[in-house]
Amino acid sequence: MSQVSPRTDRIVRFSKIALVAIIFAVLPLVAESPLLRRLFFLIVVFAMFGLALNVVFGHTDQLYLFVGALAGVGGYTTAIAADALGVTPWITIPAGVALAGLIGGTVSYIAARRRFTVILIAVFTLTLELAFNQFVVGFNDLTGGSTGFRIADIGIESDLVFYYLVAAVFVGFMLLYDRLIHSRYGVAFNAIREDELAAESVGIEIVRYKTFAGVVAAMLIALTGILYGFYEGRLYPSIYSFNNIDVAILIMLTLGGLRTLLGPVVGATVIFAIEEQLADTPEWRIVIFGVLLIVLFLYFREGIVRKVGDFLEERDLDPATLVENNT
Amino acid sequence: MVDVSAIAEIGIVGLSTGMRLALLGAGITLVFGLGEVLNLSQGILAVLTAVIALEFAGGGELIGLALPVPVAALVALLGIGLFSLAVDRGLLSSVYQSDGDERILVGIFVTLGIALALEGLLDLRYSYRFSLPVDLPTFRPAGLVVLGGDLLNIALGGIILAALFLFLRRTYLGKATRTLTQNEVGAELCGVDTRKMRTLIFVLSALLAGAAGLLQVTATNISPSVGFGLTTNGLIVAIVGGVRDVRGTVIAGIGLGFVVTFSNYYIGSSVALIILFLTATVAIIFRQEDLA
Repeated sequence: MSQVSPRTDRIVRFSKIALVAIIFAVLPLVAESPLLRRLFFLIVVFAMFGLALNVVFGHTDQLYLFVGALAGVGGYTTAIAADALGVTPWITIPAGVALAGLIGGTVSYIAARRRFTVILIAVFTLTLELAFNQFVVGFNDLTGGSTGFRIADIGIESDLVFYYLVAAVFVGFMLLYDRLIHSRYGVAFNAIREDELAAESVGIEIVRYKTFAGVVAAMLIALTGILYGFYEGRLYPSIYSFNNIDVAILIMLTLGGLRTLLGPVVGATVIFAIEEQLADTPEWRIVIFGVLLIVLFLYFREGIVRKVGDFLEERDLDPATLVENNT
Repeated sequence: MVDVSAIAEIGIVGLSTGMRLALLGAGITLVFGLGEVLNLSQGILAVLTAVIALEFAGGGELIGLALPVPVAALVALLGIGLFSLAVDRGLLSSVYQSDGDERILVGIFVTLGIALALEGLLDLRYSYRFSLPVDLPTFRPAGLVVLGGDLLNIALGGIILAALFLFLRRTYLGKATRTLTQNEVGAELCGVDTRKMRTLIFVLSALLAGAAGLLQVTATNISPSVGFGLTTNGLIVAIVGGVRDVRGTVIAGIGLGFVVTFSNYYIGSSVALIILFLTATVAIIFRQEDLA
């Protein structure tokens, strides 16, 4: 990969995004069953969560174990504000996204300033998530508790139209992620990950970059959480729970490939395919997830995307080589 | 007017809860201090122990034995000891092969995986809340209502924690453990076998979790779905107590037991839990030097 020209590299990256965009545009046209379409929607949503977690966990080593809570802050803030103001929830999306961004930024700022180890930020964010869940359950006058909070009508009747809207946002996420990782921010993230002390000594402001990663990731997570909530129509604490969101995303991200553009969508596709096979025995879902976590983290930390990349490269079939040879 | 007898009654329940929290927290502290592995399966090990005891005490249908409860409890502890030995030899060996941040991450996810897999498996058969078939008397000293289960928790919990202290302070193995938490290289130079010590401590921490689980099913009840909650409670206790210091963990466990029980009684369980979680986040921010 190192000999590849920047131009080829860019072509390959955009081709990958275009390919994913085309696949997800065509899929619901080929498969018309509502069950499969729901599956495609969920794959897109979890790939979006995965891309966001990639930014903060993959690239800056901040293990956010409160993706569910950030998504919930987005969803509940948007729904409650819209309800209180009597407006469509589309207008209050920025409020949900901004609040989550503020929380992500504050957490990352504190963690970077106080030099939290990865274990501390993991436990810190996990306890925040548990507190958020209890808040939603306990303050049911505000949130509807476990009976749920109905989101006002979003004005889109067709699930298919909504799917395409979210898929378009997903493509936007991929473009943004790609741009971010190949900007000076991406360079700084790499430097910090390799050696924090060295990065600091050449003038990279660690606190600023980590906070920035936290804000971006939290905002993307919140937007995804809001769209997920719109789709469900009613918000429950269980939608945004640790088991439903965080565990699933960590598995998908690792399986697909941490710090890769396509890892989240590949991981989400495989996991939802497995879940589909388990549709008749949902009680085994959590067992399989547990076993997957163990096996993935012990033996498969590179992820599918990198494995496939290595495989193709060994045979001179990787996209970059093909582009170079044909231009 | 403050109801003194109510406060005394809640205080006893709080102390009983605190003992169990201390046992769970001490196990997490020991494993983390010794090998930088944050054991997220601690809570489900407590549930598993309770399930084994239930089966051997005639409360389940799998084994078909009805041993006296104390015997069933000992069998359960033996079972969890063997189980944790297998986990340590099988899965944790692979975790210890990596080091630094990598080991921490792998440790978190592997033990989380164990927790989820066990919770799912146990939930297939024991998805209800259960307790052990013990018939403990209720005491009524001076107009108070005190449950025998809570007194048993306080007494046995106190004995186990005292024994843990004696082990860590007075025995060679205990001292070796403490040396290792303070200085890994130094301990190895003194001839301490790090890997063996880690196995020993992991089994010990599983036994502590098992004891907490057994005490819980004599005082109240347990179910697989509370497993992860028990882990987070233990984790919070370990953090508030300072993750490398067992004495701090025990004090924090008992203290938080009071806080949770009283706020549970006076302001409701959700607010009580929110207080517990936020206490942990504040503790992390301000005690970060001790925890790193």
